[in-house]
Amino acid sequence: MVQAARSGSIDTVTIALIGNPNTGKSTLFSALCGVHQHTGNYPGVTVERKTGDFRWGDRSIELIDLPGTYSLAPRSPDEMITVDVLLGRQKGTAPPRSVLCIVDASNLERNLYLVSQVLELGLPTVVALNMMDVAAARGITIDAGELARRLRIPVVPIQANRRRGLDDLKTALASGTRGLVEHSVPAFPAPFEQAVTELASRSAAISGQEPPRFLVQRLLLDTTVYLSESGMPGINGVLANDLQQARERLATAGCAVPGVEAISRYNWVGEVLKGVVSRSNESRVTASDRIDRLLTHRYYGTAFFVATMALMFQLVYLIAEPANGLLDAAKSWLASVVGGMLAEGPLRSLLVTGVIEGVGSVLVFLPQIFVLFFCIAVLEDCGYMARAAYLMDRLMFRIGLNGKSFIPLLSSFACAIPGIMATRVIENRRDRLVTMLVAPLMSCSARMPIYSLLIATFIPERVWLRVFGLRGLVWFAAYAVGSCTAIVVAMLLKRTLLRGDTPPFVMELPSYKYPEWRVVLLRMGQRGWEFVRRAGTLILAVSILVWAAAYYPHRESDIPGEWRARHAQIQAALDDASGLSETDRAAFSEELSHLDRQIQGEYLRRSWLGMAGRGLEPFVKPLGWDWRIGCAVVASFPAREVVVATLGVIYNLGTETSDQDEQLHAALRNATWEDSGKPVFGIPVALSLIVFFALCAQCGSTLVVMRRETGSWRWPIFTFTYMTSLAYFGAFLSYQIACWCGW
Amino acid sequence: MMLVPLHMLNSGESAEIAQLVGVPDHVQRLKELGIRAGERVEMVQPGSPCIIRLAGTRLCFRESDALGVLVKPESGS
Repeated sequence: MVQAARSGSIDTVTIALIGNPNTGKSTLFSALCGVHQHTGNYPGVTVERKTGDFRWGDRSIELIDLPGTYSLAPRSPDEMITVDVLLGRQKGTAPPRSVLCIVDASNLERNLYLVSQVLELGLPTVVALNMMDVAAARGITIDAGELARRLRIPVVPIQANRRRGLDDLKTALASGTRGLVEHSVPAFPAPFEQAVTELASRSAAISGQEPPRFLVQRLLLDTTVYLSESGMPGINGVLANDLQQARERLATAGCAVPGVEAISRYNWVGEVLKGVVSRSNESRVTASDRIDRLLTHRYYGTAFFVATMALMFQLVYLIAEPANGLLDAAKSWLASVVGGMLAEGPLRSLLVTGVIEGVGSVLVFLPQIFVLFFCIAVLEDCGYMARAAYLMDRLMFRIGLNGKSFIPLLSSFACAIPGIMATRVIENRRDRLVTMLVAPLMSCSARMPIYSLLIATFIPERVWLRVFGLRGLVWFAAYAVGSCTAIVVAMLLKRTLLRGDTPPFVMELPSYKYPEWRVVLLRMGQRGWEFVRRAGTLILAVSILVWAAAYYPHRESDIPGEWRARHAQIQAALDDASGLSETDRAAFSEELSHLDRQIQGEYLRRSWLGMAGRGLEPFVKPLGWDWRIGCAVVASFPAREVVVATLGVIYNLGTETSDQDEQLHAALRNATWEDSGKPVFGIPVALSLIVFFALCAQCGSTLVVMRRETGSWRWPIFTFTYMTSLAYFGAFLSYQIACWCGW
Repeated sequence: MMLVPLHMLNSGESAEIAQLVGVPDHVQRLKELGIRAGERVEMVQPGSPCIIRLAGTRLCFRESDALGVLVKPESGS
């Protein structure tokens, strides 16, 4: 490898990587950049922005990995970003100096469609001819040299998964020129070219600047709103009226849009490939075909799918449980160490209750989130996810969506945030919205602790037929409540607010392959880290707010005088070590900790959170809750995982012990109503809480992400309202029904 | 030879695509994916959606009122 001397004059080149989906683009990207990858988001939208860099000779190359696409005609936010980046219009991203186009050698015709669009941009372009081995196995031979001569750009055969041909590719990339070039591009019919020229000059006359020809051409071709609503400077001047007239004229001239594009481009592709590609015995049954016959079979395939999903969730619990226990122990240890170092007071309380407990309660979920992300990444990389989407399409179709909504909803079982981000592959705006709006109903991992606490405490363990346990069934029911509600809500939305035809469903099924662990682990790491960053920052803020609401005003005068006097008395007796028998000492200690808990409880009652909870009691009483549950639920609106910690604090436990399971279980069982002394909790209350948490929109991050995705607060507010109302009525119904049944 | 909708092909049958019918935007999307007149397709998994093999790739596709593919079945298959 030629490493440049680290002199000051390193030339940095930005190159955009583009290609059809399933061409090995991610593999090439990580083969070129290794671990030098950065992910983030493009400003304003949650489309993932992936860049990486590598050095070659005296050049430092920054590679932008664009989302996989079949065409530059923007039909989804993903594709709009691709166009923006290529035109150098994307904020925070340098305009690419050249483009690297990866194509699948076994399907050159379709791949060159996109290449022809890229060439029209006029940027220096390099084509990486990937999967030559697959093509060879299918009896396809390609004369790469001849292809390069015809296209008049470098064409480099590579095999990204074996890291072959990468040096040649890097050399071609590094030696690219600057500035715009004239490529060999498809010729459109004369009337079309003329219409483009007319529109361009009209736009120039109105807006005072000549827009890029490529853009005007796209505007004329694309009947979707993405481009015309993008606010690009050059196309502001092109009036909708002019466009409409131009399209009508073209239709009468026999080159109607958008059909004319496919005809012209495929004609050009046919010319370019004539004599370059030769095929022998085309129809060969591959291993993928044989596997597909089984895995996409109506019955066997469905059975395999259900088994895979069941296995995946089993794995999540299997691995997550011991890991959670470890992290939990680490959290308690840290809390006790920090607690021991600081004196009693607001700072200690803030650090222990607010920061360590609050943020720790989220970090404890990391193992299961990573496991779930790992499973999803494996399923994606080996090619099964597309089959799952195919199988689920039948169900999704009945709801009014299509198979593409399945993957986002599946991810939402880990966390709704990546789920909502994954909706960007859905082209239809209405379908995308519906998927986003119901994604938070999937029981995410943040609901696991409250389910687990309530089920372990209140649901008796009964086993039927050795396999079906009552607790397991309640777990399943908790998940089912959310999923079934999601189906109903999606159906209602598609029939009312977001009515529209079910759009066509076309999707490529990639060939099966062994997952590439590099790609899988990287993807898992990136998504997991994204979750930590996104959730972590918000949860920290929320934890501090909840802590403050539960701590302040903290007036000593609120505590009855006799308690304080007795507390001081015992403390003095204990401090005075002499003259106390062991039994007296033990009795005093016991009374002291009891008093401590009483005082803690009184502070909480008098705190802002406590006041809010007591004010809410009339509203939550029909659900079977007392003011303390009300408090915990109110506090968990910004982030639902806070609830277990809050319950621990509220039921007079003191902070350090809140995560010691047995104690919290006992405290919940022994909690009584303040007025009547009857037990607060029972199966009906447990069920009503489970249903409430299953349905309620208690996650600030999700709503914020939804706002960014949809561009307005309208949909997050809608989601919050509908989910919270559903949760309230669901909890009400389950409490009343359970009471009526006499449980 | 008669034209039939794509989904009427049986598993393993091949046909030549004759015509795409439907909303222009959706038709355009199919063409970008390589589904266009003159291409040879083979039915892998019939049904709705169906899986077809086309130019070495597998695509799954649901026909609807808004979008359909008419094909010319190959004789003898």
